[in-house]
Amino acid sequence: MTGERPLSPATAPTAADATGAPSPAAPPPKEARRPSGALRRTVLWTAIAVSVILPLWRGMDSYNYVLQLGTVAFMWIALTSSWNILGGYTGYISLGHNVFWGVGGYVSGMLLLEFGWSPFATALLAGTVAMGLGVVAGLITYRTRGPSFIISTIALLLVVTLLMDNWSYLGGSNGVSLPLVPLDVTWIKVPFYYAMLAAAVGAVALGYRVAHSKFGLALRAIAADEVKAEVSGINTRRYKLMAFALSAFFPGVTGALWGYSIAYLRPVIFLIIAMAARMVLMAIVGGRGTVAGPVIGAILIVAFDEISITWFGGSEINLAITGALMVLILLFFPSGIVGTLRERNRLPSWLDWD
Amino acid sequence: MHYVQVLILGILLGGVYALMASGLTLLFGVMRVVNLSHAAFVVLAAYFSYYLFAGWGVDPLLSMLAALPLFFLLGAGLYRLLFPRIEGSPKFPEMTVLLTFGLAFVLEGLMSYFFTGIFRTVNTSYAREAFTLGDLFIPTGQFYALLTSSLLLTGLWLFLKFTRLGYGVRATMQNRDAAQIVGVDVRRVSTIAFGIGMAVAGAAGALVSFIFPFFPSRHWQWIAILLSLIVLGGLGSLKGAVIGALGLAVISSFVSDSIGPVWAPITFFGVLFIVLLIRPHGLFGKKVRI
Repeated sequence: MTGERPLSPATAPTAADATGAPSPAAPPPKEARRPSGALRRTVLWTAIAVSVILPLWRGMDSYNYVLQLGTVAFMWIALTSSWNILGGYTGYISLGHNVFWGVGGYVSGMLLLEFGWSPFATALLAGTVAMGLGVVAGLITYRTRGPSFIISTIALLLVVTLLMDNWSYLGGSNGVSLPLVPLDVTWIKVPFYYAMLAAAVGAVALGYRVAHSKFGLALRAIAADEVKAEVSGINTRRYKLMAFALSAFFPGVTGALWGYSIAYLRPVIFLIIAMAARMVLMAIVGGRGTVAGPVIGAILIVAFDEISITWFGGSEINLAITGALMVLILLFFPSGIVGTLRERNRLPSWLDWD
Repeated sequence: MHYVQVLILGILLGGVYALMASGLTLLFGVMRVVNLSHAAFVVLAAYFSYYLFAGWGVDPLLSMLAALPLFFLLGAGLYRLLFPRIEGSPKFPEMTVLLTFGLAFVLEGLMSYFFTGIFRTVNTSYAREAFTLGDLFIPTGQFYALLTSSLLLTGLWLFLKFTRLGYGVRATMQNRDAAQIVGVDVRRVSTIAFGIGMAVAGAAGALVSFIFPFFPSRHWQWIAILLSLIVLGGLGSLKGAVIGALGLAVISSFVSDSIGPVWAPITFFGVLFIVLLIRPHGLFGKKVRI
């Protein structure tokens, strides 16, 4: 594991972070793989360019469906990449991460209802509020490790659900409806598509930045062995809190956008544990603790969901399949697609974003 | 008198929680398995009782006797199927959480598909009755449930305390490696302990079937309460689980009485958070690093 790499105990985390000085302990195989960087960059930029240009093709069959599918996929990429900062790099698995998604939705939605501020403008604010909540949640839960931490994240989700269900200002368990975007129906998906795309790119970029920073190295050290990390001079508490806060930001942003796009805020939409399960599943399928893993996992599972809904219709079987997939992948490929390919040295260079 | 009544209702509720939580904490204590699917199995057992009652009029207290061996075998089989594969992984407890998380969804999905999401409850003759003791009002169904669960918990305690296998289980709980060195067949003990944990869940399901309305996704609420209980009592501590269950059920019934029944579940989580802030390893847990 990465934690075995030398961590200089003398460096104070703050100073090193601020300067961003290249440390000798940065991911080592990176230099050796330099030549493949060009291909990876080409693939990435092509993917982004295609995503940006796609809505311009207005003559496409089922235009709104394709855009909606893209919006959903981008949202899950953003959610899973954010989850990965805490659950992948730091090794702290959160099974209540949709709390931040829901809070983002409610913050922007209520601002729209009360003041008429568009969620497109307040999405970043919603993300910031989610981040603040992440710090609060972190302050309670970061005293525990391993299973106790996971359990307290589930408890957090249920506490928030209970509050939302009974908070009459927020509509209680019936929720509140939001006004629709004032746009013609043929254009209605476009702003959400681009906003989610931006959120997805932002979340993946954040994940990349974290993975390649001294901060990310500290997180990996915590994941590998927290006591050793602490002994090496890493302020584990502060770093865990920061990881928690960072991983809450984009869920808040996407929650704001999603709430507006479905024009309905309801606890049973945002706060069911199956939503958290999807983030976990996507991260596990793609590979926890890798930059590309959550993206691959999210795309695959969203595609799989579309097929499975077409075949089986009902969501019950889909739920069972989600669970079965999770069990099978954990049993046979615990490192996920990207992780397993890397272990076998078969990872194509364009997929290697670490 | 009113407060004594609330106290008694709390204890009646706590008895069933204690039974559900004891299986869960046993699995953690012996195998370091955090079984997120525990309550889903409880719901499955409740459906087992429900269909036996609906089809043949079998009393849940009787079908519990069938559920015990059935769920024992199910648990032992499940353990052998799933867990040896991930035993070597460095973060075993976390892996078990994810694995059983997936398993819970499999169960929930299948139960929703086959049994539908309708609220069910087993309407035995005693389920809706109550008797009075002086001025106190005691629901007969919950009283039977408390009696049964105390019996089963006593049986479990006697087994752990006085049988050879029980020694093995406790030795494994204390130190897995050392138990292996002194000749405990840890794999066998783990399989049996998993079976027992599941059998207890099966029995709890039979009791739940006539005291709570249930539906497939109900298990999340229960598992969260149970997990709060066992974290509170100290993961792996049987005594902690029972005391935690009784204590919290009593507190929650006072909350439900004074503030409103909707807020009763928040007691469990609220107390969990407060305890985590003060004593991260739980009230009765030893400070172990996992």
